[in-house]
Amino acid sequence: MVAPLLVFIGALALYPTVLTAYGAFVHNDALDPPNHFTGFGNFQSVFSNSQVRQSFENTGLYVVFGVLLSVGLGIFFGLLLQRRFRGRGIVLALMVLPWALPGVVEGVIWSWIYDPTFGVLNSTLKSAHVISTYQLWVGTHQIESIFFISLVQVWQITPLAAILVLASLQAIPSELYEAANVDGATTWQQIKRITLPLIRPGLAIAVVEGLVMSLNIFDQVYVLNAGATTASSLMSETYQIAFGNLNFGQGYALSLLATVTTIALSLLAVKLIYRRVEF
Amino acid sequence: MRRSRYGWLRVVGIGVLLLWSLFPVYWALNTSLMTNAQAQSSPPSFFPTHFVFSNYEAIFGFGPSSASTAGGIGRALLNSSVESLGATVLTLVLATIGAYAFARLRFRFQGFLFYVVIATLTLPVYATLIPIYTILTKLGLVNTYVGIILVYTSGFLPLAMWIMYNMFQALPASIEEAASIDGATTLQIFRRIVLPIVRPGMAAAAIITFLFGWGQFIFPLVLGSTNSTEPLTVALSALSGRHVVPYTMINAAAIVAIAVPAVIVFFLNRYIVDGIVAGSVK
Repeated sequence: MVAPLLVFIGALALYPTVLTAYGAFVHNDALDPPNHFTGFGNFQSVFSNSQVRQSFENTGLYVVFGVLLSVGLGIFFGLLLQRRFRGRGIVLALMVLPWALPGVVEGVIWSWIYDPTFGVLNSTLKSAHVISTYQLWVGTHQIESIFFISLVQVWQITPLAAILVLASLQAIPSELYEAANVDGATTWQQIKRITLPLIRPGLAIAVVEGLVMSLNIFDQVYVLNAGATTASSLMSETYQIAFGNLNFGQGYALSLLATVTTIALSLLAVKLIYRRVEF
Repeated sequence: MRRSRYGWLRVVGIGVLLLWSLFPVYWALNTSLMTNAQAQSSPPSFFPTHFVFSNYEAIFGFGPSSASTAGGIGRALLNSSVESLGATVLTLVLATIGAYAFARLRFRFQGFLFYVVIATLTLPVYATLIPIYTILTKLGLVNTYVGIILVYTSGFLPLAMWIMYNMFQALPASIEEAASIDGATTLQIFRRIVLPIVRPGMAAAAIITFLFGWGQFIFPLVLGSTNSTEPLTVALSALSGRHVVPYTMINAAAIVAIAVPAVIVFFLNRYIVDGIVAGSVK
């Protein structure tokens, strides 16, 4: 009964992973055949490529922005929805919407919001006198571009963080807050001393999800950054090398690095943040 | 006391939440119902003054302005639907049967195999993208529905299996034992007793799988190069990459891609929240 499941996972998840790990050490360039074992040759090539190095740095920024913003907003939204109120179900449903939409579609609709000539972000900020002239939000400055592309992904993954936080929040017994109220604790003290420590399991998962998503960011970059290196991500660079330059060997090397990094960082995040919480 | 003092803060907070969550979609809808001249007016109009449907006609290949655009959104919509639905059905069947076996049967290497399946949950796209392309090329499955559905299914199976496994685990085995004593066969027990109880879990797994399929981009981008399998995501990115296509039409195409998930979220949101929690917290 488990055989069909295992065949699928074996053939299209485990076997490809093995191929990736192996392919990283093989010279495999459609423009320079034949294939041959090359040791760490692919890794040397990718590390000496300045565009790849830039994509490492960019991906680091995507991860920092992505995790901090999505988890921060997730906690804020979770706290807002912690107590029952009329219409909470509808608010929750509407909050989930961005999570359910394709990343590409989000990139497309935000690129119109960011538009340098007709975008609503420019016109709103200008009429509020925040900016004096219309800005090119994505495309010129590295950090600015990455921030605005990251924001689109944050829009997508924040609902996930909020739901995970909310699930942990609802497991906290209300007696703890009642006792704190009796003792005269302020709301902020209650959040700091009761809520945050007790939602750590949910937070751990939210951080890992944010980490994995931002390390893998591609759709939003593909749409908003086009082919530029300014805000290229590790994934968009891997795609470019493998399917643009047709150098599968170097694509495999980058893929292997990214896979190992993703898994290692996820484990680290869980270890640092996760605490078993018993009531 | 606390409630009344901070009540207005919550109202403001909820307002921010709703504005953040909905404005980009509203803005796309608003733009999609305008003429190009209206969309480029300054200051922008926050409501469509008179509804214009020509953008939708154009992307589906009707109307006078359709000649300049792809007009292939109808086909892409069909492709997205076939691929997402196909993957959902296949994933759900395999995941439910597999999860039931893992939860109820005893067989060799069970623990090991279970961890192998769960471990694939942590594999990022990187790990499999290039090999899947080479494997499907060898099998002649590039540019086919079958190829894409197989790839989606392999990717979504572990999560669906995990959600279903937790459902079966939460189900007391005594119900099935009682039925077994009454002479019911394994298949009868599974179909008549177990499946009806775990239906909410199946709904959650199905909805999440469908939404994942609907949002896929990099795999279909790599695995298809013709309109015959191109889903909405790929068609839309191609449309927005061609700078001659007006933004009003691109936003109309985006709204087409948004409509299906939006309806699902609005009516089935309960299952989504449960599924996300069941799939990640344990």
